Amino acid sequence: MDAIVVNQLSKTFRVKVKDKGLKGSLKSILKPNYRTIQAVDNISFRVEEGEILAFIGPNGAGKSTTIKMLTGILYPDEGSTSVMGINPTAKRKQLSYQIGTVFGQKEQLWMHLTPYDNFKFFGAIYDLKEEEAEARIAELKQVFELEEFINTPVRNLSLGQRIRCEIVVSLIHRPKILFLDEPTIGLDPVVKENIRTLIKKMNREYKTTIFLTSHDVGDIEKLCKRIIIVNHGSIVLDDSMENLKYHYLNRKIVEVKLRDAMDMTEEDGITVIKSKGCNLKLEVDTTKKNIADALKLIDADNILDINISNVPLENIITEIYKENRQTKA
Amino acid sequence: MRKYLFILKATLMESLQYVLNILLGFITFFMLLFVFMNLWEYIYSDSVNLISGYTKEQMIWYVILTEMIWFSCRNPTLSFQISNDIKSGSIAYSINKPYHYIAFIIAKHLGEIAIKSLMFMVAGLVIGYCFLGAFPVIHLYQLPAIILSFLFGILINAFLKMSISVLSFWIEDSTPFHWIYDKMIIVLGIMFPVEVFPLWAQPMIRFTPIFVVTYGPAKLIIDYSNSMALQVLVSQLIYFIISLSLLLFIYQRGVKKLNVNGG
Repeated sequence: MDAIVVNQLSKTFRVKVKDKGLKGSLKSILKPNYRTIQAVDNISFRVEEGEILAFIGPNGAGKSTTIKMLTGILYPDEGSTSVMGINPTAKRKQLSYQIGTVFGQKEQLWMHLTPYDNFKFFGAIYDLKEEEAEARIAELKQVFELEEFINTPVRNLSLGQRIRCEIVVSLIHRPKILFLDEPTIGLDPVVKENIRTLIKKMNREYKTTIFLTSHDVGDIEKLCKRIIIVNHGSIVLDDSMENLKYHYLNRKIVEVKLRDAMDMTEEDGITVIKSKGCNLKLEVDTTKKNIADALKLIDADNILDINISNVPLENIITEIYKENRQTKA
Repeated sequence: MRKYLFILKATLMESLQYVLNILLGFITFFMLLFVFMNLWEYIYSDSVNLISGYTKEQMIWYVILTEMIWFSCRNPTLSFQISNDIKSGSIAYSINKPYHYIAFIIAKHLGEIAIKSLMFMVAGLVIGYCFLGAFPVIHLYQLPAIILSFLFGILINAFLKMSISVLSFWIEDSTPFHWIYDKMIIVLGIMFPVEVFPLWAQPMIRFTPIFVVTYGPAKLIIDYSNSMALQVLVSQLIYFIISLSLLLFIYQRGVKKLNVNGG
């Protein structure tokens, strides 16, 4: 079953435009001027139940607007959305029982209360019975390993502990879909990894559908099986992570440490990314030149060390953003 | 309803962390009381027994009671939080929860002012007793009307302040409107009872929120009569309905406006 169905969704905003200086300010009072921005432009996609989807794009691409339409906060200009079979704009309250939201940059916990009091509070908000809430808190406490700080006021928790509690709060009512907006922002690598493990565990144990937006490629790479890239309000890529990587795996990064410095000339299929002293970094397009042929251009006796790797996902995504920008231009 | 009681309880628990802040608020409370008690003491010392129908004791209790109401009701949640939620877009994260944002803020407001009101009430009564040597006489049968009038006063004030705050959907800064409302209550509703003002101005003042927020509840304590109780409660009921409808109307329109600006 599809958890989310988005059909030809569009949304525009009217933004006030003002000329420079005091004169412009006065003019905008008497004769305001507006510009229409196409935030989301005719997008369609489906998300299956239990899927972990990365919904990414550069700032201003339309991610946030799409999430807000999916959660019933914004009304679409055109098109339709269905989340767990519910129309978000018509039945926002009914939908709120089916979804959970975590915004890494916006806390929903009450800072002066302990996580336990917060969980009880949100349990009441979502109409859980007393004993039901207690059982759920006990369960989540174990899964998310909260024992140590469940009775410490939230304001005294570390960012990693707070994010864990934010996720628990959003799960208290057993939502079918969880919208995670930059859940690991500002966290150190160890805590990030910990949060990712918990998200995976949650998806596995509760079959929660996860709709993730993040600028952190690690989140996307380690959690998601499918990726949707949006830019300028349109979907520029909707593919499985495997396909995306496969498509770009024909390009390899070759890093060579040389005994003596050498001048490497670029050829068709070989791009010199960096050449500094005895260190050389090349990108080889294997559809045009295979690795063995590329390496033949370097004297084997001159090679001290060599490392061949795939193009980082971050570079792939940046490239897709750029490609789209150039196409639009 | 249970969820709103939980919101009230959670806020109450949170406000217990701010008892010291509340105590700092007492400085202005004491200063204002000191000035006005001495002012009325001085005016009444000129061998006058009644001013506009009020004895010295009634006049001083009026100032104490209205100040108690006003200082208890002052709450940044009603002004700054709503305005900030709207301007920063944070309101979006509240309206996708299974509660009504307006009811949420009211429950939060009541939780936040509960401790504060109790503290101001005790402080006001102690000061009044020390200064005048006696409490106003209240009979048991008068209590329901008095309590009801105080509750109505608190809620109407909250609705009006919130109505001003939700204007932030359209205007950059609602602070000047709050300033006008607050000063109107302080100058016309706390310092002097309505009867002190010129006869021509009194009917107009009786139509303002002053009559239902501060004057009415205080008047029922210092000079209770059934007719006055009826007049105050009926006015409050009308104000309650109008101010709540106005608030909900502006809010509903505003949320649609948020839909235009969001994203």
